[in-house]
Amino acid sequence: MIKRSYWLLIGLLFSFSTLIADSTLKKDACVSCHIEVDEENDDEDKIVSYYKSDLHVKLGFSCADCHGGDPEAYDDEDEAMWENDTFIGVIEKEEQLEVCGKCHSNPVFMRQYSTDIKVDQVTQYLTSGHGIALENGNENVAVCSSCHGVHGILPVDDPRAPVYAKNIPKTCSKCHSDETVMFESGLPTNQFTEYEMSVHGMALLDRGDIGAPACNDCHGNHGASPPYVSNVDQICGTCHSNNKDLFQKSHLNDIFLSKGLGQCEACHGNHDIAKPTDEFLNWADESTCKPCHEDSHPAKALALSFYQTIDSLKTGLEHARKMVEKAEHKGMIVSNLLFDLDDAKKALIHTRTNIHSFNKAFVDTGAAPGFQSIQAAIIGAKESLEEVEYRKKGLFIFSLIITFFVIAIGFKINEWKKQRESASN
Amino acid sequence: MKIYEWINERVDISSIKKIALKKRVPIFYGTIWYYLGGVSLFLFMIQVFTGILLVLYYQPGAETAYESVKFIISRVEFGWLIREVHSWSANLFILFVFFHMFTVFFAKAYRKPREMTWISGMILLLLSLGFGFSGYLLPWNELAYFATKVGSDIAGAIPIIGDFALRLLRSGDEVSGATLTRFYGIHTALLPGIFTVMLGLHLILVQVQGMSVPPEIEKIPEKERKSIPFFPDFALQDAMAWLIVLNIIALLAVFFPWELGPKADPLASAPAGIRPEWYFMFMFQTLKYIPAHVLFIEGELFGILLFSIGGFIWFMVPFLDKKAHEGIRTPFWTWFGILLIIYMIVFTAWGYLT
Repeated sequence: MIKRSYWLLIGLLFSFSTLIADSTLKKDACVSCHIEVDEENDDEDKIVSYYKSDLHVKLGFSCADCHGGDPEAYDDEDEAMWENDTFIGVIEKEEQLEVCGKCHSNPVFMRQYSTDIKVDQVTQYLTSGHGIALENGNENVAVCSSCHGVHGILPVDDPRAPVYAKNIPKTCSKCHSDETVMFESGLPTNQFTEYEMSVHGMALLDRGDIGAPACNDCHGNHGASPPYVSNVDQICGTCHSNNKDLFQKSHLNDIFLSKGLGQCEACHGNHDIAKPTDEFLNWADESTCKPCHEDSHPAKALALSFYQTIDSLKTGLEHARKMVEKAEHKGMIVSNLLFDLDDAKKALIHTRTNIHSFNKAFVDTGAAPGFQSIQAAIIGAKESLEEVEYRKKGLFIFSLIITFFVIAIGFKINEWKKQRESASN
Repeated sequence: MKIYEWINERVDISSIKKIALKKRVPIFYGTIWYYLGGVSLFLFMIQVFTGILLVLYYQPGAETAYESVKFIISRVEFGWLIREVHSWSANLFILFVFFHMFTVFFAKAYRKPREMTWISGMILLLLSLGFGFSGYLLPWNELAYFATKVGSDIAGAIPIIGDFALRLLRSGDEVSGATLTRFYGIHTALLPGIFTVMLGLHLILVQVQGMSVPPEIEKIPEKERKSIPFFPDFALQDAMAWLIVLNIIALLAVFFPWELGPKADPLASAPAGIRPEWYFMFMFQTLKYIPAHVLFIEGELFGILLFSIGGFIWFMVPFLDKKAHEGIRTPFWTWFGILLIIYMIVFTAWGYLT
């Protein structure tokens, strides 16, 4: 009897929990009808299935909050939708700003979800390339739903969301890599292909490093627009601040601006930014200076001097590292020398940054501590290796002494043995 | 000689001299085994000597231990040598104690009247393992920290007293600076004190009872047995062995120095390849592969019970192998020893190869 009651209780609890889980959906007349419609539709056209995971639904919003209509008119389709004054139905592109902005542009309303939530999305959007085109009657542009999705909108930090950092390039490329969509605007469609192969693209897409910039980090989110030439250093400088500061103070800053060259972009490119190498400075094929400067220009000597400084630091550091490793493998304590190697590595990184000053004296001064650290590591490693040799010599002498004593004792034992044998005879 | 006479006039030590001069060492195929105990004693003396020197600079404590060991190795004159010799001789000490124990076992030297010598030797072995376990943590490096954590966890699995044993060892719930201080006390005061008393007893018993010979040799009439005087012949041969071992230690110290590794970080996750000292490896490997449950007992607990029973049997061998007292070798005990050695070697090798 007890056993039967036990199972009955479990059954009741299970049914009750199922009821609770579905109660938010079933109380809504829109949902109860559209579940049936969904069953006839393909996956992509299903509404309620996606709606279940929607952030808004989780926060207590219903279909009627966006689409209007009466969610309580369970048995009357006309009253629920067609004959209801508030019913909007499918929200057209030009209506989205108003529908979404109704809440998202209302600071008082939005504050209940987060105190620092942004409410300038619509304002920003209207300044963007997309917004301006929409205002001009071009409906072939991205609106809220183009990026955030329609039913099943997920929070921005959800890895499944189309606006999650790692998914943004793909989301933008849905339109920007589509020649048909881009045909009218005349914009290129190779940005994603270029970005994918870039240092940023590989970091974000291949390694999943969400600190790496996606489209929105340079172009903006809701106010997305192409950066102006004069803004390029500010955009790159958001992350590469030292490079930006040094370049802005250099003599090249004004020259670039006067010639309409994007400061960072002129040498590093935009969507296809490759991982910079020291060969950029070597006045060979990969040199980024050569497209603008003749061989006779003083820029060649400057670039080559930078190259030599960096190369000397690099080879010096490598040599020092090998010596320190050798000493470490021989059992010496090299932790202090590892600090020197770290300092030298930092100096190398700083020198690579400092070249954006295009000032030889500044670069050389910055590199000097690196050379000192390399020297200190080499001297320390040499001393350690000398100590190893000293220990080996000590061991050799010690072994000789021990061998001498062992042989001497052996002779003594033999002598006693013979003495005893002769005595017994 | 004058010093001897001076002392003898005041305290009669001539009887000790008589015993020493009377003592003879049998010569047969197993004479070489007699060196093992002496070498173990020599290694212990090295431990004491280098240990005292290390104590002069070592500073126990989570914030100071690692740094002080690093200081000893890198800044103190010949500090590296003292630390290397201490570490290497500690390992060789355990190795020679094991060799000594097994040769004594196979020579049936534990038979009457040497039961107490065996028991005192077994206690010395346990104390030696305690030295190894407590000393391993003292440099406060990553490997030692996590190995101690795993090792003390095993102590925590003992039924009834597990929790108490764990807290007693760790001086708290976790391995911390307090554990280090406790281990330092155990390693440098508690264990040396007990060990010295037990070693004294062991040596007195060996001297009083003389050298044991295997049953086969014992059957040969005493007059036909070959022997040499302990003083000075065997003592000098012992000295030769000690010098050779000392040279081997110096060689190992120079060519195979012990790495200090990174400092212990209790908040870091355990690095891969955490292993106990080699002499605990066979037990560690066994515990690793015992199923989660054996019958109704938890796997780890089953392992501990197994080792406890095994250890107790080994401890009580002089009382269990009754035929040995009659000079008879029973195949059971011979095979017991052989299988134990095979098990220890195989599981240790397995632990290092996997």
